[in-house]
Amino acid sequence: MQAGIGSLEDLAFILLGITSLTSVLFVILAVKSRDLLMAVIYSAVQSTLYSLLLFLLLAPDIVLVYVAVSVGLLPLLTIMLVKKVGRYET
Amino acid sequence: MKLRNIFFIALIAFITFILLIPTLLGSIGVIPPKDVRDIAKLYLYLTYNQYNRSLWAASPEAVTAIVWDYRGLDTLYETMVFYTAIIAALMLYSEILGYRDIVGGIGLSFIVKRGFSIVLLAIIAVGFSTILHGMLTPGGGFQGGAIVAVAPVIGIIVFSRRIFDYSKLSYKYLVALRSIALIGIVLTPLIPIIVTLGNAFIFQNQVKVLARFSYPSTIIDVPMGGSLTFLNTFEGIAVFTAFMLAFLILLYSEDLSKKPLEGEDIGY
Repeated sequence: MQAGIGSLEDLAFILLGITSLTSVLFVILAVKSRDLLMAVIYSAVQSTLYSLLLFLLLAPDIVLVYVAVSVGLLPLLTIMLVKKVGRYET
Repeated sequence: MKLRNIFFIALIAFITFILLIPTLLGSIGVIPPKDVRDIAKLYLYLTYNQYNRSLWAASPEAVTAIVWDYRGLDTLYETMVFYTAIIAALMLYSEILGYRDIVGGIGLSFIVKRGFSIVLLAIIAVGFSTILHGMLTPGGGFQGGAIVAVAPVIGIIVFSRRIFDYSKLSYKYLVALRSIALIGIVLTPLIPIIVTLGNAFIFQNQVKVLARFSYPSTIIDVPMGGSLTFLNTFEGIAVFTAFMLAFLILLYSEDLSKKPLEGEDIGY
């Protein structure tokens, strides 16, 4: 039983590592992207990975509010902004 | 590949490794012990202890019990901060508050409208179940309110804001609803004191040794956590209306919303 809990914990930590490294990739894509709409989508993907991180860290309360704000409201607000300033960065 | 790009990638990799090494070595601080700490044990022991009701919160969810009962004043002030932030945002547009938009939009296509109508119901149902199950499952007022707020915000884009301007979710009704919810949040901790004429604690939920006042601990046969249910409901409504007010203001057409912001370029 004790060994089972230990390996589950290891799995959680491995998943944490993979998720956080993948999120770095999406941050790079969001920074590098000249297409601002794609940048918003990349940052939404990064937020989804962050909410997975929070879930793996056993904080479901934070996940519920983080998903709604960072995947729902924030991209909406930024897409609205992109519509006003133009889609492509020159 | 340009030198600039190579430098950028190298920099990102360097920063990642710099952060990775101390994290792996555990040298960015004391790693928390794996066993449950004393204060956590205390909360877990007291929150839903049927046999020792002297300090219980009648809520199986310890996080909500801490947020709205044991540490209720913290959350009250957090609500106050959010209230002030939204009021400040509304103040920027004080000249056009409550105006109907001059552009009569028609929204997106028929397919999008029908598809979103179905999703709308699902979003609202999930949000309200999060609010009303705040004392049983993870989540609560703020989380549920933020989930429900997504629905009208997408609704403004899909159905155009004309529908909201002419409905019961226009500016003045939302402000009234928000004020009622905030009065509820303020009154719920004060009701024990008012009812017992001073013989109770502020933010009192269940009966204590020194003060006999108690909110009901169950609704029919479901644990309801006394004041937690009321506070979660009011907080949910307050957060939902706050987000919706903010987005109603932000999604005005530019012809109207430029007016109050004119003059910024000359310094006021």
